[in-house]
Amino acid sequence: MTALAPTVDLPALGANGLFVSHIPLPVTDVAGAVVAELSLVPSLFVNRTLAALRKATTVPADERVGMLTKAADLFEHATIAGHTPADYAYAVSRVGGLPITTVEHTVGTLANRLRLAHYTVQHARPAGAVTDWRDPLTRSGRAVWTRRGDVFAVLAAGNHPGAHSLWPEALALGYRVAVRPSQREPFTPHRLILALRAAGFGDDQVALLPTNHDGADAIVRGADLGLAYGGADVVAKYGRDPRVVTQGPGRSKLLITRDADWREHLDTIVDSIAGHGGVGCVNATTVLVEGDPAPLCAALAERLSALPSLPPEHADAVLPVQPLATAKTFAVYLDAAAANAKAWLGGDGIVDALGDGSAVLRPAVHELERADAPQAACELPFPCVWVAPWTRADGAAALRDTLVLTVCTDDDALVDALVEEPTIANVYVGDERTLHMAPELPHDGYLAEFLMRTKSVIRRP
Amino acid sequence: MTETDPDTFIQAAMEWHFNPETGSPFWLERAATLDFDPRTDVRSHADLRRFPNVAAELRDVRVADLIPRGYGPNPDVVGFFDSGGTTGAPKRVVLMRDWLDRMLAAMRANYAAHGLEPGKDWLGVVPTGPHIVGELFRRSAAGFGGHGFTIDLDPRWVKRLIAEGRGPDVGAYADHLIEQAEYVLRTQDIGVLMITPPLLERLALRDDLVALVNEKVRLISWGGTQLDPDSRELYKTEVFPGVALHGNYGSTMMLGVASERPHLPAGTSCVFDPLAPYVTFDVVDPDTGDTVAYGERGQVVVSHVSRSFLLPNNLERDLAIRVPAAPGQIGDSVANLRPVMTFEREAVIEGVY
Repeated sequence: MTALAPTVDLPALGANGLFVSHIPLPVTDVAGAVVAELSLVPSLFVNRTLAALRKATTVPADERVGMLTKAADLFEHATIAGHTPADYAYAVSRVGGLPITTVEHTVGTLANRLRLAHYTVQHARPAGAVTDWRDPLTRSGRAVWTRRGDVFAVLAAGNHPGAHSLWPEALALGYRVAVRPSQREPFTPHRLILALRAAGFGDDQVALLPTNHDGADAIVRGADLGLAYGGADVVAKYGRDPRVVTQGPGRSKLLITRDADWREHLDTIVDSIAGHGGVGCVNATTVLVEGDPAPLCAALAERLSALPSLPPEHADAVLPVQPLATAKTFAVYLDAAAANAKAWLGGDGIVDALGDGSAVLRPAVHELERADAPQAACELPFPCVWVAPWTRADGAAALRDTLVLTVCTDDDALVDALVEEPTIANVYVGDERTLHMAPELPHDGYLAEFLMRTKSVIRRP
Repeated sequence: MTETDPDTFIQAAMEWHFNPETGSPFWLERAATLDFDPRTDVRSHADLRRFPNVAAELRDVRVADLIPRGYGPNPDVVGFFDSGGTTGAPKRVVLMRDWLDRMLAAMRANYAAHGLEPGKDWLGVVPTGPHIVGELFRRSAAGFGGHGFTIDLDPRWVKRLIAEGRGPDVGAYADHLIEQAEYVLRTQDIGVLMITPPLLERLALRDDLVALVNEKVRLISWGGTQLDPDSRELYKTEVFPGVALHGNYGSTMMLGVASERPHLPAGTSCVFDPLAPYVTFDVVDPDTGDTVAYGERGQVVVSHVSRSFLLPNNLERDLAIRVPAAPGQIGDSVANLRPVMTFEREAVIEGVY
């Protein structure tokens, strides 16, 4: 495969079609080469696009489902704006530093999520609610499931293309959607929105608005509801806005109690840590084990140290790659965060320079003395795991603030406590990877819980 | 002072400002600390770069000390005005009658070149109070046979709100200002709207106000903060297609504005020409201070050299593309302005003004 043509133009996708702005933002690959120019739009353009989305009418549900299905096929197989799926995967891999096999795999899962969006959203519908006021049940009075608004804003992340499999559910529900792409990896939403438009969604139904922070505020302000990805800063900024749902840190974990032998789950633990390059919020940050963590640390260090350092577009690449300067920043940060933790792997550095200005982020395994050590919450975008001893006294409290928890145990009372803990979003019991996701399973709750409401409809003669 | 020969002009100005008989107390005292004698060593426009930037001293100066003694015992002072206060305490200047008349004449000629016809009233959604733009606004309206309607706009409060991260309060204040403007726009015979870009954007959120402006207003004159080229194009082609859009790059420290060069082809950048030789621009590399090539971006150095005021070699907070000056004009013209990210070690905050 060859590199992409000199520079790819990524115009904004506004309500009147493509928009090439006077202010292009260079998008660079992990070696620092400019591979694309992203058109940044000003707040005025954002405001006008959001106004057009608001004025647009919603396409009937059945047509929406048909268009989503068609868009899935286009996204997965078609040449879009001159770029084949292979071109696209190569670009995402080079720019985001993700192993190319991960990107290629995600193309398929994302397409499947589009095909199933109309079905998966129904899992969030309250059992008592029907979908149409014409449903015969409303003649005696019934809840009808309706949208909370018309325009949905997405401030997207660039760490993993799979994040873009969620917001199309809003289209399935009849929202018009404006997406602000990450400046780091704008290719996925660009391709996806072009596919949606080619499948029949109007320019005033779904838009891509690359913009600065002021413009991002304008997108959220102009929409009814929003979804914002990011770290603690994004959560701090939008967390108190009831119109915005945030997807913040994941801090996913595994817990192996004494009655389960971690040796039988080693593949699952390793994959939870390092699968998909270890860049996701569903990758394990912490592994808690009842008993001595040292043997597990040794086994993890052995397995993870065997992963090869390769450029992201290499077919055998499994580790994430970043610009060398960025990689060094992570190394310094990790070094400071680790403090007195015992390093089993990565203690002498995690940066493996590839010689072209980029560097592989190699795995790190650290052993902590206590389950509640502060390091256990330190989530970094590469395979970086903290292993700590867990005792019955630590209980569920040591597992708070977790997106996905895999627990290997025979103790149903413990599972009760974990499932009931409000700050644990998902609990997988037994031999399941933390990064397992499925269309019908909620991720951080169902998005449709946030997008929809019930209202009573009664029809009388 | 005449405009005949640039060097002669500069030399006459140095003689005026540094002769103990005619110079201002501020500059005569300041001259003692210079390692050169302006009356003998500053012979040309280029020599102005020898001066230190004294703009920051205008935060504390007793403004009466800025009046050149050559104006005599009863100088014709129009007023004292403040900078917007983007960075710290405001700077303060004196506006003399002879300079105001010259500035207004230049602005009037520029408006006329942009096709503005007299007779309509003006609405200024710009800072008034101690800000010189309000003074220029009212007198410009009168110069075109109209009345200048104003509202209260406190740019320093907006900047403080932004600095404190109080975004919703900024929005509420902007909405309040637009509401005040709306009352005037709906009821009066407004043909010219002078407004800052952030408030124009706010106004454009309202379809009813956009329709009202398109119906009544013949020219929108923007200034105070910069307007990016994409927004400018959208206003011209989509939002206010029948209304002339006219830009000003001004500051208190230049005692006026550099107005948009008229008669440029559609689709080209907005170029600002200063009122040379009194106000001149140089576009320099922020790190080396060297003048950048035409078409390159650099930081704007503004010099004001008139009978009423001297402020040479003032490094402004703006970055701009260096553009060849109009024929016969000393120094540079500028285009595509945007603020530098930091200035005098405080982050520059762009707000409603």
